[in-house]
Formats: sequence, C-alpha cells, structure tokens
Amino acid sequence: MSRTDDTELIERCRSGDRQAFEALLVKYEKPVFNAAYRMLNSRDDASDITQTVFLKVFESFDQFDPTRRFFSWIYRITLNESINWLSKMNRLEPLAFEAADEGKGPEQEVDSARVSRDVQAALMTIKTDYRSVVILKHFLGCSYMEISQILDIPELKVKSRLYTARQQLKDALGGKH
Amino acid sequence: MAIEQKYTDLINADIDGEISASEKAGLQAFLDESAEGQALHDDLSSVCATLDAVKSEEPPPHVRHVIMNTVKPTQKPKESPGFLQILFATSAVKYAVTFAAGVFLTLSIVDSDQISDRAFDDVTGLVGTVSDPVNATLANSISVNKPDLAGTVSLRSAESMLILDFDLVAKSHIDIEANYTDRSIWFNGFGQLESEGTTISAETGRIRLGMNGKRRYAVYLHNQGGRETTVNLRFLADGRVVHEASLDYTTAR
Repeated sequence: MSRTDDTELIERCRSGDRQAFEALLVKYEKPVFNAAYRMLNSRDDASDITQTVFLKVFESFDQFDPTRRFFSWIYRITLNESINWLSKMNRLEPLAFEAADEGKGPEQEVDSARVSRDVQAALMTIKTDYRSVVILKHFLGCSYMEISQILDIPELKVKSRLYTARQQLKDALGGKH
Repeated sequence: MAIEQKYTDLINADIDGEISASEKAGLQAFLDESAEGQALHDDLSSVCATLDAVKSEEPPPHVRHVIMNTVKPTQKPKESPGFLQILFATSAVKYAVTFAAGVFLTLSIVDSDQISDRAFDDVTGLVGTVSDPVNATLANSISVNKPDLAGTVSLRSAESMLILDFDLVAKSHIDIEANYTDRSIWFNGFGQLESEGTTISAETGRIRLGMNGKRRYAVYLHNQGGRETTVNLRFLADGRVVHEASLDYTTAR
C-alpha cells in the first residue's frame, strides 16, 4: 500500500477530482468488501457497507488526518460500520446465517469454496473483537503495528486477541483443514 | 502444563513473520524441549495456513458503479456542508439518498387501474411522501448476479408504506414484474435517481417496470395496517424469465 500514491489521490479528491476518488475506489473496493463480508457473512450486507464506507470517505476527506495512512482510516470505518450493522441486526432479529458461497461450478474451485465456507462459519463463532484482528491480519495483510493503529489498541492487545482468536478458530474448525 | 505467555507470543510472532533472529533462536530452543509447545506451534500454523488459503471475494459488479453514480455531484472544497452532504454522512446513507433526493425525483407514472383514495392526480404529494420515510426498516433484500443483470432489490417498510428499492444494472432492456397477492395493498408512487427511461405501469396486485443500463429507483406501496405480504419478482429479457425471487414482509420483525 503506497502511502505517497494515496496521499496524492486524497489531495486530488479534496479538490473535487472524481477520477482520483475512483482510483481510490478501484484500489480499496475489494479489501473493504472482503472485510465487511468476513465480518457480516453476507454479500448483500457487505455491498451495502462498502457503499456506505466509500460515501462516508467521500464526504469526510476534510476530516482525514494526512499524518495517518489512508488504508488505516478506511479499514477502521469499514469495521466500525460492520459492527454497527451487526449490532443493529442483533437488536432486531437473530443473525441470519446464510451460506457463504453458492458454489462456483468448476471442479477445481470446489475445495476452495468449501474452505471459504468453513472458515466463514468459524469466524462467525468468535466475538467481533477477535474477528476484527483476524480479518485485518489474514484477509487484509496488516502487521501488528498497523492493526494496533487501525483498532487504536496496544500491540500487546493485538497479539493477545490474535492468539485467542486462533485458538478459538482451531476449535471451531475442529481439524477439518 | 500451560505454556508461558512469552512463548505463546513468540509462537504467534514466528507464524506471523514478526520475530527477530534472537527471538527466533530462543523460541527454537524452547520448541526443541517442549512437545506441547511444538504441538501448539503446529496447530496455530495450520489454522493460519487455512485462513491464508481463503480466496478473496469479488465485490458484485454494480457496487462500484453505484458508488460513483452516488458521488456524482462534484464535492466543492472548503464549502460548508449542504443538506445532501449532511444526509449522505448518515449511516442510512444508501436509503437516505433514495428518499432525501426527492427534489431530484422524476415521477413517471404511466397508468394505474387501481381504485383507492390516493389517486395519481397529485404528483407533488408523492414527492412529499417519499421525502419523509428516511428511517425505513429493511425487511428483506435479494441480489441478482446474472450475466445481463446485476444488483439488489430491497423491501423496506415505513409505517404504512412498503418501499421496493431497485438498484440494478442491465446490459440490455429488462422487464420486471412485481406481484403481490394482497389486494388491499396499492401502488402509491415511483421515484428514480438522476436517470430517466425507466417505465412503470401499475394494476391491482402487480407492478411492471422496464429498464436498461444502470438504474436506481423506488416503488412505493401503500400497506394500510402494515399487513404481512410477499412480493414476487420476475426479471425478463426478451420475454424470457432470467431470474425470479421473492421478498417477504413480516410483522414479526
């Protein structure tokens, strides 16, 4: 993730450059969508969250602190929006657990789809605090320090949550993989 | 015997590649002596390998298009936030856009054979109506991901109103039928965002829509008493059904 590139794009976004915004969208749409999807276990909800996140970003460039990294900011917004959504849905009804994937067809993709489903099912069994660190580490490729900045918690806590999360995922997966 | 935290930390750091050479040497010495430690290292490595093997999901193709269409009005720097900007910043942004953009709504009502006390001779009333229910509650939604048609259709409720929110991209002309069996529910309005060309006709128990390209529009149904109902959707290309889905509205929510 190039800090310089992002900073330049953000500056252009602040000047109302839609092409710069689209460049950020192209770069971060997939990780934002994936983070939301892994938090929520629903492609539809993840699509909504992705839209909400980018619209918030678009409207809040003036609030962005240029001394921080853009991905840190947008990932934090994504996780917060996802957790707010989960909280809202839990208040209304039990979380619907839909299949993570309807199957992609070709034989060679069956195994990967099954792994994805099992991992997703396991992720949904752990608390959102733990799920967040796993998503940042394993799905967004963040370092301990970056996770610490995104979640605004000490690195020690990142490590501790990651350790607990992995233990719980190991139990949830039950030696399936 | 429980493994000391400093070693569990080192095991994690090793798996994550965030370990120094001296720490690595210390960990290795520990693992050589501790079968339990080695087992933990193996277990956690296996879990991490499984997590890392999961492929990224591709976002639905319409998401980028919807976002870029929504941010179309160029943001002017150093300008106090306007009504729409404040509205866009809310958590209900997607739907706020639909409803609060009422001033931009173009109303296209082709015909209706319904008999109700809310006839369609007052389109300004419709604009006023659709501007209000920003806090509509999501009842159900479906997604469509076909080669020629992609997007979502959501069903929302706001007091005595049901709102079908269409957010679709079609490669060529698509007809959509929305059927509902409850005859006490009647068509109450239609609005679309910054586009035109969507056609609509309404009759008792059925709405027909025609669209092409990227479209975002809402169909408003009056549902006195908030009765439970199901809206059955059929998407047709050249008269051929390409997708079918149902949206339930239940009062238990």
